[in-house]
Amino acid sequence: MEKVGIVGYYQVKMYSDANYGRYEMIFEAVRGAIDMAGLKKKDISTVISCTNDYYDGRTISNCFTVEVGGGYMADESKVEMDGAHAVLYGLMRILSGNHKLAVIWGGSMPSCFPYHSTRLYETDPTWERQLAYVNDITSAGFQMRSYMEKYGASAEDIAKVAVKNHKNAAKNPLAVAEAQNSNITIEDVLNSDIYADPVTELMVAQPCDGVAALLLAPERQALKITDNPVWITGVGYSQDAYYLGDRNLYESKSMEMAGKIAFESAGIKNPQKEIDVAELFESNAHEELILSEALGFADKGKGATINSDINGELSINPSGGAISGNPPCATGLIRIIEAAKQLRGEAHGYQVNNAKKAVASGQIGMCAQNNIVFVLEGGN
Amino acid sequence: MSKLTQRKSLDYVKKDYVRTRTMPGNWYLASYQYKFNITHNNEFLKKLKDKKIVGNQCSGCNRVFFPPRLVCGKCLVKPDQWVDLRETGRVATFAIVYLKDPETGEVQEKPTVLIHQDGADTAIIAQLNPEVDFKDTYIGMPVKIHWAEDRTGGLMDIEYYDVLEDDAEDMNPKK
Amino acid sequence: MGRQVAIVSAGFSEHASKRSDVNMAELVSEAVSDCLKNAPGVDFNDIDAYVNGNMPAFEGVNLPELWMTDWMGARNKPLLRVTTGGTTGGTVAISGYYTVAAGLPKIDTVLAVAFEQQSQGDTSVGLGSVAYGEISVLNTMGIPYDQLSRLLSAGAAIGVAAYQATNYMSKTHITEEDLARVVVQNRHNAAKTWWSHLKMPDITVEEVLDTPYISYPLRYGMVCPASDGACAMLFTIEEKAKDMCDIPVYVNGVASVANESAVLGYDGSGTGQIDPSEQLGAMKSSELAYYQAGISFPRKEIDYAEVYSPFPNQELMWVEKLGLFEETTAPKMYETGVTSLKGELPINCSGGVNSTNAIGASAMERPAEAALQIMGKADNQVPKTVHTSIGHGWGGSLNLCTLMVMSDEPQRKWRR
Repeated sequence: MEKVGIVGYYQVKMYSDANYGRYEMIFEAVRGAIDMAGLKKKDISTVISCTNDYYDGRTISNCFTVEVGGGYMADESKVEMDGAHAVLYGLMRILSGNHKLAVIWGGSMPSCFPYHSTRLYETDPTWERQLAYVNDITSAGFQMRSYMEKYGASAEDIAKVAVKNHKNAAKNPLAVAEAQNSNITIEDVLNSDIYADPVTELMVAQPCDGVAALLLAPERQALKITDNPVWITGVGYSQDAYYLGDRNLYESKSMEMAGKIAFESAGIKNPQKEIDVAELFESNAHEELILSEALGFADKGKGATINSDINGELSINPSGGAISGNPPCATGLIRIIEAAKQLRGEAHGYQVNNAKKAVASGQIGMCAQNNIVFVLEGGN
Repeated sequence: MSKLTQRKSLDYVKKDYVRTRTMPGNWYLASYQYKFNITHNNEFLKKLKDKKIVGNQCSGCNRVFFPPRLVCGKCLVKPDQWVDLRETGRVATFAIVYLKDPETGEVQEKPTVLIHQDGADTAIIAQLNPEVDFKDTYIGMPVKIHWAEDRTGGLMDIEYYDVLEDDAEDMNPKK
Repeated sequence: MGRQVAIVSAGFSEHASKRSDVNMAELVSEAVSDCLKNAPGVDFNDIDAYVNGNMPAFEGVNLPELWMTDWMGARNKPLLRVTTGGTTGGTVAISGYYTVAAGLPKIDTVLAVAFEQQSQGDTSVGLGSVAYGEISVLNTMGIPYDQLSRLLSAGAAIGVAAYQATNYMSKTHITEEDLARVVVQNRHNAAKTWWSHLKMPDITVEEVLDTPYISYPLRYGMVCPASDGACAMLFTIEEKAKDMCDIPVYVNGVASVANESAVLGYDGSGTGQIDPSEQLGAMKSSELAYYQAGISFPRKEIDYAEVYSPFPNQELMWVEKLGLFEETTAPKMYETGVTSLKGELPINCSGGVNSTNAIGASAMERPAEAALQIMGKADNQVPKTVHTSIGHGWGGSLNLCTLMVMSDEPQRKWRR
């Protein structure tokens, strides 16, 4: 796979209830990314948006975003998954040689709709939805219990992840204010409201309003646009079975397969040693452990033993991860932006020293059914 | 590890049953609270009260938007100038919709028109004078704003458009 | 950079207004198995990745590709979901192309699937909600809801198409008879295609003109039906294509260009498309795709076209905008039989969207059928040899156009 450069990005600050119009927010993100790269509207050759009809309350949710998203008279398309999948499609378009600058934006405003009840529409309509036992909250409960049972992990191990991410979020100026808490303790997490036992409120990545945008360019153009590009050197994505009973919830087979392909194409043999930063989309705290184990950062069941603080042996989610703010359709995109910030040395306040290689992941579905992982490398 | 059973064969789709089980389900738009920012329209709405219409202009491509727009899609910038517009315009295109009254079951014919305001570069959906026979509507038909009696600074201040003659005095730009 | 992509197979499910014998997932697997049946050398192990799409608001299932993983054989395989409303099928086909062309690690063969089962949901609610958000803005700016119901009907596809039809008719001075003639040709063609929905081998122009108006100038007999159906296409790289089928069809150009949204505009701010039949997006996408394919004279070089035309006026408009005929001459071509099965430039020999419209799948059935015509495997095969064909899609709010140019030999111009 040839190298593709990230040449610009912009993320609107996340709010739990933003005082923004939808189109204003999208415009701010796209314009911000274009300004960062010092480009103009006419340089855009393709635009990939990432929205969801159910989250936006509109059929064809990208229909009226053409003007504000920079898609006027550009080759435009929409991915209806996570923002990271939109980056994948943008990457494909660049790699095909047809396009020289791809704008990828994604995001939604969950303050406008009841997020968790909308997630119910993802379930199998004839069986699971009627029973209403399975939704994103209960399935997270199944998964966490299964992980604890299989590997003997304690609830404290998982609460520790949530504590770390909340503390990191406090250093991230773009994180949603409710998630920024530098004094949080393990007891606070365990004693917060129960969502689906053993998952508690503070372990869940709470939905919030946000839009982010990213610019991709092929190697030659990227070097012309910026002196400090971040290269995407590997990518892998995979989909697991749908029914929870068909999978082993304590591990992530799809992430294992995605990681294997991504690391192979990036030429990484020992991810544990070679990767400096990992930005993982964990929709619940325990998923960070499962996903990092699947990526080979630790042995199965030993995810909690990694020193994953900022400037630990392998820094995981220095930005606070999805717990720092989870705008549906943008979270994976924000993970890629945060990883790129670390590699460019622009993560002021939560910068990992000497970050050379990073991974960023995105996911969609109950218990992270479809996973995607990118390997990023710092500039020249 | 449980044995993963991939369904490789597709023959399991049974042909011997006639109907699948049907399940009721809904998705409600009503549960969605749309958020808008219409601050860029305030200037325009305020002036409607005084029987004046304005559009905003993009300094990149000089296009005039009526009603005002947040962003010019061509240049990806916010339009920053205000331009006064005349009260006249032309029918850009039209369609006739057949609306059924839910109570009486009576079908009504209603023309809906897209009006291209003179001096603007965009067109907006609007209503013609209800006395106009829809059969007389044609593309390029000159029209003029009919202001509402009680103006509140909303879009309904333009009650409807009156139809003008082709050579009407109002259509003369020099006036 | 970039690889040459070939289509090796395409498959359809049976289309009908109510496929109550299957659910969504089973409908999809019907098309998938038909697609694989047409390519005997291929089985599920040869497929490296999937692309999937439909219009989710119509059936009430969000992200249905998660649920139907096993029905496509996509377990533990890469899968991407792409949707853009009416053009969904076209964008799915295009992203199938890009997935192969990109040369991602270990991805050579891609199965693209698009489907729609409209009988499971309420299509008019789905279409009405396209502009619902935009109409709500108008409400906050002072238009009461009872006035807005009229706008709501104009926001749906039939409303915008009626605007387009009026404009096109006033420009070309055609009559309703010209529109009816297009419908008759499509319905006759549909009768010879096994998967199509409205099969009417004996319909006449008079019968079409005898139906009542749905929205002037369009009549009930002229508009597309609402169907249930699915379509699948198999893409692979040039090197593998020859092993998988006899005549691989090479994809030489793709484009999906968006214009400003029509009629209401975002935030209810009106439209820049003052003439909705101008279609700059279609012209730009044909320019892009023909350039990639090295086509300079589309009128001479293209042998077969499938255009996305739920309404007859659109079929006339698209063939002109895509450069197949001179402006305003299309009605004449339909009258003289140039576009018929045995004509010089046959158009929509599958019956087109006018006869079968499973919205999510329709825009994919166009390139699929155009590819089958090159392979010589189409049901209603044209008698002449087809070397180059195009498959077109339209959607969004009159603003997005997808185009795929296919040929029996690879001739893609590499751009860098």
